[in-house]
Amino acid sequence: MKTMEVRLTVNGEAKQWTIAPGDLLLDVLRREGYFGVKRGCESGECGACTVLIGGTPINSCLMFAAQAEGSEVLTIEGLGHGDKLDPLQEAFLDHGAVQCGFCTPAMILNAKALLNRKPHPSEEEVREALAGTYCRCTGYRKPVEAVLAAANRGGRKPRLRAAPAARREATR
Amino acid sequence: MNSARTVVGQNVRKVEGVKLVTGGPAFTDDIQFPGLLYGKILPSPYAHARIQRIDTRKAKALPGVHAVLTHKDVPRVPHTTAGQSWPEPSPYDTYLLDNKVRFVGDRVAAVAAENRAIAEKALRLIEVEYDVLPAVLDMEQAMAPGAAVIHDEPDSKGIHDAAHNIAGYILREIGNVDEGFRESDFIFEREYRTQRQQHCSLEPHVTISWLDGDGRLVIRTSTQVPYHSRRQVAMILQIPVSRIRVIKPRMGGGFGGKQEMLLEDICGALTLAARRPVKIEYTREEEFYMARTRHPQILRMKMGVKRDGTMVASQLTVMATTGAYGSHANTVQGNTGSKVLPLYRAEHMRFECHVVYTNTPVAGAFRGYGCPQGFFAQESLVDEIAHELGMDPVEFHRQNVIRLGDIDRLSAQLGEGKAGLPRHIRSCSLPECLDRGAAAIGWTSKRKALPAPASHLKRGVGMACTMQGSGIAGIDWASAFLKMNEDGSFFLQVGAADVGGGADTVLAQIAAETLGVSLDKIVITSGDTDMTPFDVGAYASSTTIISGGAVKKAAEKVREQVLHMAAKMLETPVDELTCGDNRVSAVGEGKKSATMTEIALHALYKEKTQIMDGASHFNTDSPPPFCATFAEVEVDTQTGMVRVLHMATAVDPGIAINPAQAEGQVEGAVAQGLGYALTEELVLDDAGRPVNPSFLDYKIFGAKDMPRLTTILVETDEPLGPYGAKSVAEVPINGPAPAIANAIFHAIGVRFRKLPIRPEDVLRALREKENVADDQCV
Amino acid sequence: MFDTVEAFYRPGTVGEALRLLQNGKNRARFVAGGTDLVVEADQSIRCLIDITHAGLSYIRRRGKAWVIGATTSMAAMENSPAIRALAGGILARAAATCGSVQIRNMATLGGNLANGSPAADTATPLLALDAEVVLADARGRRKIPLTEFYSGRRKTKALIVEVAIPAMPRGGRWSFQKLGRTESDISLVNAAAGLQLDSQGRAKWVRIALGAVAPTPIRAVNAEKLLTGRKVDESALAVVCDEAARETRPITDVRASAEYRRETCRVLVRRALEECAGGTGCSL
Repeated sequence: MKTMEVRLTVNGEAKQWTIAPGDLLLDVLRREGYFGVKRGCESGECGACTVLIGGTPINSCLMFAAQAEGSEVLTIEGLGHGDKLDPLQEAFLDHGAVQCGFCTPAMILNAKALLNRKPHPSEEEVREALAGTYCRCTGYRKPVEAVLAAANRGGRKPRLRAAPAARREATR
Repeated sequence: MNSARTVVGQNVRKVEGVKLVTGGPAFTDDIQFPGLLYGKILPSPYAHARIQRIDTRKAKALPGVHAVLTHKDVPRVPHTTAGQSWPEPSPYDTYLLDNKVRFVGDRVAAVAAENRAIAEKALRLIEVEYDVLPAVLDMEQAMAPGAAVIHDEPDSKGIHDAAHNIAGYILREIGNVDEGFRESDFIFEREYRTQRQQHCSLEPHVTISWLDGDGRLVIRTSTQVPYHSRRQVAMILQIPVSRIRVIKPRMGGGFGGKQEMLLEDICGALTLAARRPVKIEYTREEEFYMARTRHPQILRMKMGVKRDGTMVASQLTVMATTGAYGSHANTVQGNTGSKVLPLYRAEHMRFECHVVYTNTPVAGAFRGYGCPQGFFAQESLVDEIAHELGMDPVEFHRQNVIRLGDIDRLSAQLGEGKAGLPRHIRSCSLPECLDRGAAAIGWTSKRKALPAPASHLKRGVGMACTMQGSGIAGIDWASAFLKMNEDGSFFLQVGAADVGGGADTVLAQIAAETLGVSLDKIVITSGDTDMTPFDVGAYASSTTIISGGAVKKAAEKVREQVLHMAAKMLETPVDELTCGDNRVSAVGEGKKSATMTEIALHALYKEKTQIMDGASHFNTDSPPPFCATFAEVEVDTQTGMVRVLHMATAVDPGIAINPAQAEGQVEGAVAQGLGYALTEELVLDDAGRPVNPSFLDYKIFGAKDMPRLTTILVETDEPLGPYGAKSVAEVPINGPAPAIANAIFHAIGVRFRKLPIRPEDVLRALREKENVADDQCV
Repeated sequence: MFDTVEAFYRPGTVGEALRLLQNGKNRARFVAGGTDLVVEADQSIRCLIDITHAGLSYIRRRGKAWVIGATTSMAAMENSPAIRALAGGILARAAATCGSVQIRNMATLGGNLANGSPAADTATPLLALDAEVVLADARGRRKIPLTEFYSGRRKTKALIVEVAIPAMPRGGRWSFQKLGRTESDISLVNAAAGLQLDSQGRAKWVRIALGAVAPTPIRAVNAEKLLTGRKVDESALAVVCDEAARETRPITDVRASAEYRRETCRVLVRRALEECAGGTGCSL
């Protein structure tokens, strides 16, 4: 099988990989251990495979790995870890915006790209940015709230319920 | 103990949340395996055919191929793939590999190869000679004389009437509906049709299996039912249960599609044949037609009411198709009767259902489990009745819906395929759900007048009430185990299968609350048949109430051990001690207390005992969550496009252990309900082939399609639930379709009785209405 | 799956790209955004030629015309001030509806046209704007009207290098309308119109282009003739829209029936013309 080399930067690290000419970027990234890039449809519809190339969101299932030659790729793994999370990651956690989590990396990356060029987006702009990432769990509401909250960081506190709330008695 | 709760009722972050937002390797496929082979299934191109000849020699000879399996290579063990308690109430009509195919996509053969390309090439090299048989695609033709018999094999079991393609038949009655209709002042009867909906979990079905160092078969898989799958794989592959381990990592959605032993058996079989680890991952296309779908139904709903709106009798007659195999055939449809009709206090109820085989993709469990279909029919008809009687639908509901203290007798007749238990309504805030949902949508003023921004746009509001269950009474059960560590933390082991909806977090919250510790002191392991005790799995909205019930029981037992240990240490009677704030403290004067850490160290190293215990739990009732769904729509009368402006959903989930997660469940369910109402349908052509097995043409709602969502939790305190919880996972999916259909009627005066309600259906109906009006004017 | 691909090139010039295509002997394909090519998964491809670095990403003025390089992305067109200002922004609006933000960052103008789908969102406004396509092959470059490109598309093996939008008469107003099942959808039907009224409210000129209602995107020439010189009022619009609907040859597929496409085409043309005439027509 024919192989070639591709040189690129992933999450700030220079990489050189041996690939087949027809390899898709999604497959190569997962093969190289970037499991946060998900395979959901392989046809560019669900967006779960989103990565940022030069800060721009693309569907890695539709890009040949060779086309990423010389690019700067950002996956979710490059965004934040453990103690030092990106404000978007914090907001997603605080707003109940993560359910199964399968689409979460893609949503966060798309939101990140939006906030980088538009620090204070409208709700409509946030929905536009998330429109290319399907979520079957959340109904999108809390993810949208989380992005808006991250954009207005400091201006909007996370919603935490004080206990106990008024209880309804079983017998009325 | 009704003091202030510190963990339960809080919107805590998910326990696995950081892993998910940082993209950590959490899901089944997020793993690298030396020597992993790629498995793939050869699907049938025909809806109905016998395999006359199958030759795998060329495929086997292809370099890189390690196993090729056909019906000749595997044991023939009739079974069901439905993830249900044993003995499963679904027909045993499925085979690992068979010499007959019964739908386009049915298994013909399977291969395991070095990589995907070789596996796909190997499939193409398998030579198959089919004897194509006439296919039954239309459920109304399935029972007709002369229809091809889909399950003509002699060894299948539990099929109601195979010769007539009837997988299951249900008939239940309380009271006497004929008498009830005679007593009624008005009788209404309509027919409704619902479609094939697919789960579209973002993570497709995926299974990896391998033989470990002891030769045990380990299956790492995205499943809602690890224990049922283990049992079924053992039976199918004819190896002991103890030689199999099923591990469920984090799941990317399930919604019922993974309440199924779908790939585990074939993947295991390939592993045994190849003696190598094997992965099978469905492509999105395979996911659409080779996994499971919702049962399509034709529902005939008849209701009798008194002049004053009191409901006297209700009768639901259903024909459903289960596709080519009977997974969940009896139980989904049983729910269509047992969870739907008793929403109302009619004295007479009758439910009759034929579930037929067709040569179509297999139907199975899907969130709501028969209720979305049933409530579409019932809530649409109720709206029609209210309209005819000149009653506000909300008032009609108030008058007729089930109440706190009532007993639902119909459910005594319809359990999981057999006689069930009567349901007592011990918690119910449906009247308040109606009030608050109506207020949120602006019901009163909008029913009178609802202006739209342009003359070709018409707006309307509509509503529906629905209910579900919380676990299957007398059948669903769970167990939990806790042990204490040196640092005052506890390992919580549960068989429960977190599908992504937050079960692990909720169960940890329950344990933390009961033990009087902070959430970070609970470390939870779930869904591993080696490492966790039994749990039926994630379905029937059972995890919070049943698995949570087991967790609470186990935690109470462990708390007792902790208190006794502390009593010794503090030389204080147990009944003067209390747990809280990561310590055990003496009540009253004196500051005697011991931290959990101190207690643990004392137990482990002084007393030389491990503080640990487990418990099992089930309920003999299934307390329903209730839901009032309100929709506001705008219809473009020139294009037929229906835009949903606002969905207000008021739910009684019992106590919400984690309100934010509960709200998230509501909102996600509403999104699926919206697709069910307006856009989703898996379409088959006249050869039974799927026409739209992709997101390009199977449309689900995206972020820009969603209306404004108002989510209201109207909590009640359910005696049968841990800390008063019931459930919330399914009920909100039942309301959107009828609420939207009713809102469309309010907007344009046309009733839609078939789902999905597509723009061209709306446009056609509007044109017909105009033509009729024109005729009448002449 | 492209495991049979043996070679991948990224030429720096069009000439080099064409040479590589020639050497590939029918097994070589150009790829830019990949949003159609990868989904099609043509197993016969042996050689991929990535043309995104061949100097074809630009939006510039040439004389009185605007020219857009073939590998210009939908996102670039959507966000370009020049394209947003051009003809009421109909091309920018069409580009903005070409799939999700991820897709629009990858998909190219050339790819949208080359794919040949009658539903291609950019094709409809380009037809209304009398756009021309510059093709390049071994024999050199030639410029043909977009209509000719569509009628002869299957026969050509040339590379689209540029789309040229000629200067249009001033004083016109433009509209682009699209109907989809959800907000992120391929067009069930789309329409683009341009119209200029004289001082008496008569149509000086009118252009109506329709997408997804025929084997290729089309201009509704009969409808245009009917409206030209006529006072643009209620009855004129009704007659013209009926005529436009008659010019369609839509198909029935899983997305919509032919009857629905024809009916909504009439509605979209109506809305487009109303918007052009300054009425309250709906936007997207």
